[in-house]
Amino acid sequence: MCVGLSAKVVKIGDGVAIVDADGAKREVSSQLIEDLEPGDYVMVHAGVAIARITDEDENETDQLLEELL
Amino acid sequence: MGEEKKKSAKEIIETYDGPPVRIMEVCGTHTHENFRLGIRKLLPEQVELISGPGCPVCVTPVGFIDEAVYLALERGVTICTFGDLVRVPGTNMSLAGARAKGAKVHIVYSPADAEKYALEHPEEQVVFLSVGFETTTPAGCLSVKKAKADGLTNYSLLVANKTMPGAYAALKGSADVFLYPGHVNAITGTSLCESLVQEGVSGVVAGFTARELLTALAVALVKFKEGRPFFVNCYPRVVTKEGSQEAQTLMEELMEACDSEWRGLGVIPGSGLQLRESWQEYDARKKYLMPKIEGKPNPACRCGDVLQGKCKPSDCKVFGKGCTPLHPIGACMVSNEGACSAYFNYGGDYSEHLRIR
Repeated sequence: MCVGLSAKVVKIGDGVAIVDADGAKREVSSQLIEDLEPGDYVMVHAGVAIARITDEDENETDQLLEELL
Repeated sequence: MGEEKKKSAKEIIETYDGPPVRIMEVCGTHTHENFRLGIRKLLPEQVELISGPGCPVCVTPVGFIDEAVYLALERGVTICTFGDLVRVPGTNMSLAGARAKGAKVHIVYSPADAEKYALEHPEEQVVFLSVGFETTTPAGCLSVKKAKADGLTNYSLLVANKTMPGAYAALKGSADVFLYPGHVNAITGTSLCESLVQEGVSGVVAGFTARELLTALAVALVKFKEGRPFFVNCYPRVVTKEGSQEAQTLMEELMEACDSEWRGLGVIPGSGLQLRESWQEYDARKKYLMPKIEGKPNPACRCGDVLQGKCKPSDCKVFGKGCTPLHPIGACMVSNEGACSAYFNYGGDYSEHLRIR
């Protein structure tokens, strides 16, 4: 049950968003994220977009290692 | 820096030469991914990964299943639930067993789907089994608000939602470093983790891809070797310091803290959630005047010890024998995020025996 899935927002409705996760489209609640726009990436859990994804894991991890060493 | 080549996260992990360290994967999905991606095989001997209590299905006590079975069989309600709860053994039977006796058990992907089912089936009384941590609770809250907006009187929640802070306090001594569950922190932010550093509790927030897990472990090992308590957010593309204000406000509006029983950890004060009085018509326990039900787990099952990092799944006598994913005795073998199921599916017992030799 605890699966978080990253997905791209393709359409915004009233409190809902249509997201595309590798081709699978689904309506999810967008009520927890302000000002969501088509093209944004979100983390989806149990039918709700719970967070905006702001970067790629490659940049993220490169930067963390940069700071570490 | 000059000519010196920087080490990759993988190299940092493989060449770790610091003191022995126990790292707790709070989140069950981390346990699974560390197995699946082969990360466990990279770890030097003195680095031990232990599984924690972060699988909501696993920490849900037997009594909760008994309550759901009671509602389904004695009160004739339709149970809507995430799929992994269906086969978790109750004292006498699982929900799958209840279904075989005629109970209506409907599997849904989300609380919103359960609410929709109630809307489309006004002749049925629908109860959604609301389990999960901070990540999942907002979805249940949204479904209750939607039910209110839709004017539904046939939808309610059997709430067993839990919050992590109490569990961290209870587990403080079990591990040297916590691998914090990224998607809980996406909602709650990181201030709790930061304040735990003052109590000497170290940890890193980790994401779920191979890069993110390797990096989080590398950061944890480097910092641990330095010897001071630390906290690093290694999943900043999703987790912010503040978390989701919208989700926090929503939970605050509908839910309040209560004492809660965790499988393995017992009752942790203030670690559970219940619907506030103003929302009690959506509280299945109140709506159906739930009697007090005390569940009795199978005495052979050591899920409780597994969830506290006290033993490995493969140390349990019934592991892989009486208890398999097809015929689970304990919740940790049922759930896709459970530690026992990870050990069973990825041969955790086997590879670790090899290493000891």
